[in-house]
Amino acid sequence: MSNRIILSLVAILICTANLTAQDVQFSAQSKAVVAVGETFTLIYTLNAQGSNFRGPNIQGIDMLSGPNTSTSSSIRMINGSTSMSITYTYTYLLQANHEGTYNIPAAAVTVNGKQVNSNTLSIKVIKNPNAAAQGQANTGQNRGSGSSGGAVTGSSNDVYVKAFASNSSPLQGEGIVITYKIFTKVPIAQINISKLSSFSGFWSQNLMKENDKLQQTTQIIDGEQYVVADIRKIALFPLKSGRLVIDPLELACVAQVRRQTKTRTGDPFFDDFFNDSFFNSGVANVEKTLKSNPVIISVRPLPEEGKPADFSGAVGSFTMHSEVDKTRLKTNEAVTLKNTISGKGNIQLIDKLNLTFPPDFESYDPKVTSDIQTTAAGISGNQVFEYLLIPRKPGKFTIKPYTFSYYDLDKRRYVTLTSPEFTLEVEKGTGESGAVMTYAGANKEDIKYIGSDIRHIKDNEVNLIPAGSRFFASLVFWLLLIIPMLLFLVFLVLWRKLAARRSDTVLMKNLKATKIARKRLQKADEFLKSGKQNDFYIAISQALWGYLSDKFGIPLSELSIDSVHEALVQKNVNESIIGQFMETLNNTEFARFAPGEKSVNMERIYNEALEIISKIERELR
Amino acid sequence: MSRLKPYAILLIMLLATLTGYASGQRDNVFKANKAYSDGAYSTAVEFYKKVVDAGFESPELFYNLGNAYFKLNDYANAILWYERAKRIDPGNEDIDFNLNVANTKISDKIEPLPEMFYKRWFNGLVRLFSVDTWAAMCIVMFITGLLCGVLYLASHVLVLRKIGFWLGLGLLFFSVISLIFAWSGYSFTKTTSEAIVFAPTITVKSSPDEKSTDLFVVHEGTKVRLMDNISGWYEIRIANGSVGWLPATSLEKI
Repeated sequence: MSNRIILSLVAILICTANLTAQDVQFSAQSKAVVAVGETFTLIYTLNAQGSNFRGPNIQGIDMLSGPNTSTSSSIRMINGSTSMSITYTYTYLLQANHEGTYNIPAAAVTVNGKQVNSNTLSIKVIKNPNAAAQGQANTGQNRGSGSSGGAVTGSSNDVYVKAFASNSSPLQGEGIVITYKIFTKVPIAQINISKLSSFSGFWSQNLMKENDKLQQTTQIIDGEQYVVADIRKIALFPLKSGRLVIDPLELACVAQVRRQTKTRTGDPFFDDFFNDSFFNSGVANVEKTLKSNPVIISVRPLPEEGKPADFSGAVGSFTMHSEVDKTRLKTNEAVTLKNTISGKGNIQLIDKLNLTFPPDFESYDPKVTSDIQTTAAGISGNQVFEYLLIPRKPGKFTIKPYTFSYYDLDKRRYVTLTSPEFTLEVEKGTGESGAVMTYAGANKEDIKYIGSDIRHIKDNEVNLIPAGSRFFASLVFWLLLIIPMLLFLVFLVLWRKLAARRSDTVLMKNLKATKIARKRLQKADEFLKSGKQNDFYIAISQALWGYLSDKFGIPLSELSIDSVHEALVQKNVNESIIGQFMETLNNTEFARFAPGEKSVNMERIYNEALEIISKIERELR
Repeated sequence: MSRLKPYAILLIMLLATLTGYASGQRDNVFKANKAYSDGAYSTAVEFYKKVVDAGFESPELFYNLGNAYFKLNDYANAILWYERAKRIDPGNEDIDFNLNVANTKISDKIEPLPEMFYKRWFNGLVRLFSVDTWAAMCIVMFITGLLCGVLYLASHVLVLRKIGFWLGLGLLFFSVISLIFAWSGYSFTKTTSEAIVFAPTITVKSSPDEKSTDLFVVHEGTKVRLMDNISGWYEIRIANGSVGWLPATSLEKI
């Protein structure tokens, strides 16, 4: 309301100024002195059409809203001349939270393409003179001076919030309840929690519903009667040991404070009359920010002694019940293992059980159902884990017992609960394994195989062998290997001997060749003398051929003019001698088979034969 | 290969006392084959088993028996008999094919350890033929090689001598190779014992003791290699190299 008055005043002022001078004015206005927590406005006024407003960068003061732009224009006709004025206002709603002096830098706006800067402001934030009388109380200043400023009754003890812990030194995991209570002497309304405590290091569970009606009680503290109400109740479970601090809770509420407006008329009667409680029953709605005390919880660690290996932080008192819905089933049928943990304590923190299933079981993550009762006394209820298992293979399987450990607060020791062992008989399902088996097919589709099957049996060629009888390494095998080997060796020895003997005869013949030839020639000489022509030629021929045969190791059957020539050339016999020898041989053969008188050449042939043999003999040496 | 079968038949001939019996068993084989073709697989199994129990073996017989078991959805037995057939005739493609099909039906999928390339090649060559085929080849090549040697020594014709020498040398070399292959195949079947898991699901233990740590789970039909044997327990190794202990009752030796 006061803002509006200022605004209109300013507007009027500016408008009148506008008439006289058309220069652009851009000014900032605000209260010079404000109290901590007070909401105040900062207004920028522009007496021209502006655009592109750039607000100040205010530091240290919270900006609640803004800039809110409003325009007003007025047209005036005075003595027929019309003048028009326009006003732009940019309004900020600010709140200072700390004492001190703050500078609000200049804001800028663009008018007709030119930038216009506002003036800067300095705002002093002072300590709230009366914390309970904020806000509304200040508006009194704008009232006329005729009435004095409203003094509001109320002190910091009128209303306050306090946090209580049920146990300030719990064990780790032991639940405590923290209660925030509001104490008030004045009626309050609109309790609005602006900042909740952050329970770092705790697992928290709200024990009061948001819309629960506040239960009010009265309590007398230091002789004064207070109305007390629980505004928050939270169960906390410390997750770690050590000193944990719970931040204060902050809330805003509207307190209805009686205001005593002292009216001075100068007349004592009227003063008394108007100042009595009947007339002077003005009630001020005072907005107040309340802050609770921080709570320090020192959490004791759980004893290490006797701590089970599977302990996962459950503290309280619990019972466990587990069951399977069937123990005889077929492959691919589902079986449910239901495990219920019920009791009192941080039950919702139990998120998993260390259960292991046979590897042939397809198991899924458990379905966890919580049924938790949160009462002012704490948390109790049950946590149900449902494991769905599907055996894929037939057989007898056991689900080994599993354990759940917790620290029992009453017994002051760790307790381990053990489940029974479940034995499941899984039979082969009638649905055939085909339902289970998934054949990973190749992505490429070249040939589509409709089905796969084994190849057909061997129908015709079944050769039965007595078991264990193998050809390899059998006696027959070794005999077949050794006998040919022996035969070959025998052959080799015999062949060697034969070859040796044969080479001996060749050598002998070689050595004896000349001797034999001489003997034959002597015989021929005798035949020559006795005139036996045919015998003579036969003897000469035999002497010559036989000599060659013996000398060169050529069997008689293979002897011919060519083979002899070849043999002589091989022995490097002089070509002329070979020619002579050939001639002698030819002559002998010719003379032998020629018709008519044969005695004429006998003497010559005899001499030729004798000469050539001795010549070759010499050549070969 | 099958043309070398006469040697096997020869062997049967040598064991004349058994021949008459074998022919009686051959009737059983024919009956079994007929039952199989008619779809009466359990009858076929019965007849085949009769022949096996009578003390006869043959890769074809084992293969047929494996087929009959396969058709009865008894994959562990099918694999067992295929493996037994494979032991006798490792190069048979049909056995390999059916064994692969049967292996797709069992639960365990084991990634075999890769072998060194030379080992793989050598084993591939060895498994090309059965041990007896290698042995027969060895004998034939050995004798022919020796004959070539004789030819080399005895002949006067240079070409024949050359042929005899080189051919003989080559044949003797290959007969030695065949002997090595036969021997390595033979020693494999003699020294390595393998088995098939027959328990539907069984946990392999870390030591031969029911209370020892569970290592891994194997299922019916998985082939394991037997490493050691202690009081009713076998130390087994599966194809991926994992080792553990299984009770002997859960296994059937190949």
